Amino acid sequence: MSSSSKPLTSEPLVVDAGSSSNATVNLLEDITREKARLEETQRAVLDILEDSAREKERLEETHRALLNILEDSAEEKGMAESTQRAMLNLLEDFDVERSKAEAANRELRASFESLRMAKEATEAANREIEAFSYSVSHDLRAPLRSVAGFSQLLLADYSGKLDAEGRDYLVRIAAAAARMGDLIDDLLKLSRLSRATMERGRVNLTDIARRILERLRSAQPERSVEAAAAPDIIVNGDERLLMIVLENLLGNAWKFTQHRDTARIEFGVEPGGEEVVCFVRDNGAGFDMTYAGKLFQPFQRMHKSDEFPGTGIGLATVKRIVERHGGRVWIEGTIDHGTTAYFAIPRPAEEKK
Amino acid sequence: MKSKLVLLVEDNPDDVKLTMKAFERSRLANQMEVVSDGVEAIDFLFGTGKYSGRDLSIMPEVILLDLKMPRMDGLEVLRRIRSDERTRLLPVVVLTSSLEDKDRVESYRLGTNSYVRKPVDFHQFVEAVQTLGLYWMVLNEPA
Repeated sequence: MSSSSKPLTSEPLVVDAGSSSNATVNLLEDITREKARLEETQRAVLDILEDSAREKERLEETHRALLNILEDSAEEKGMAESTQRAMLNLLEDFDVERSKAEAANRELRASFESLRMAKEATEAANREIEAFSYSVSHDLRAPLRSVAGFSQLLLADYSGKLDAEGRDYLVRIAAAAARMGDLIDDLLKLSRLSRATMERGRVNLTDIARRILERLRSAQPERSVEAAAAPDIIVNGDERLLMIVLENLLGNAWKFTQHRDTARIEFGVEPGGEEVVCFVRDNGAGFDMTYAGKLFQPFQRMHKSDEFPGTGIGLATVKRIVERHGGRVWIEGTIDHGTTAYFAIPRPAEEKK
Repeated sequence: MKSKLVLLVEDNPDDVKLTMKAFERSRLANQMEVVSDGVEAIDFLFGTGKYSGRDLSIMPEVILLDLKMPRMDGLEVLRRIRSDERTRLLPVVVLTSSLEDKDRVESYRLGTNSYVRKPVDFHQFVEAVQTLGLYWMVLNEPA
């Protein structure tokens, strides 16, 4: 807009013939000026619009940037969240592991507890057995001693006042009391055997058997007995207990061959892989195999005691000792043709083939 | 021969009778004092209770001691005998029915001089008493 131009309303338009061409020129001039002003205004407006568009663009850009930031932070947040989740999962896993460990611990503690209880029960049972055998040993023998003692005193001091039948009764009473004393002693021995602690080692059964046979021979030198022990029968076990096994088996063989003109007793070994199978064979009285199972029970006897003395505890003792070694026993016999008693002791693991 | 004193500590009257009979038969001249439990044994040895005023210069040559008795058992009697200067050196023979290891071991631990199991058979019992008497009253020289 030019500064010289006059406002449109400042000069009234005068139209007359003389000046009409001048006026038209002026008018055109005015219009042109107006137009230029308008155009200028329009440009300014456009400029303003342009500016605001740029502003808008900038704003949008900022907005986008902000959104980006927000998006980024959301991503960050997501990542943080997933990290957190992962950690929570880990913690949860730890929890699971921990409760597993705790459960295992509890189980272990429970096993220990039940073991401890079993041990206590065993100990209590052992104490009870001990109290029982103490009572058997002391309390049962005392009245028996009275029965035996006074009947013997009666026999010794008053037999003149009794007739033959009366004396016979007293003899029977005294004998029965003495026998009961033997039974009680054997029962006690058996119970002590079960309680005795085992001391395992290398045991030469041949040496032991020969010593026992010598002792039996010197006790009854008048008997004719052919006795033989196979060399070097060696097992792993408790020497003291295994000696009791051989004492019983060889003692039985010695006893049940007493009516033979020439008794034969053999201690030998049979081939075996997992175990050493030993036997004591004799040519004595033998027995009826129908009753073989009963022989290993305490106080079971196959013969009358006036025929062969004894309480019937020997084979039960043998069985108990051999079983404490993890072994087994069995017996074979024929009436009047002798007996073979077997016992098998497991070989130690390192000797097994 | 001056009769020597034997102290028998025994609660079972049958065993007292049998022991006295066995001593009679062993023909050992002796005087026997019988007390029926551990408390009485201690009273006799130390002149207390029903034995207060007893002449304590007379002490038994040997004490035959049962283990299982009411009130005070034989092991406790033995412990007291061995822990008192006046009775510490007296010979004590545990005479019992028990063959339990723990009784035997404990008796020796507490200082018994001997441990004898009473046999059921009377003849064996007489023999045991005879051997005991011969040893403690004749052969043995007390401290």
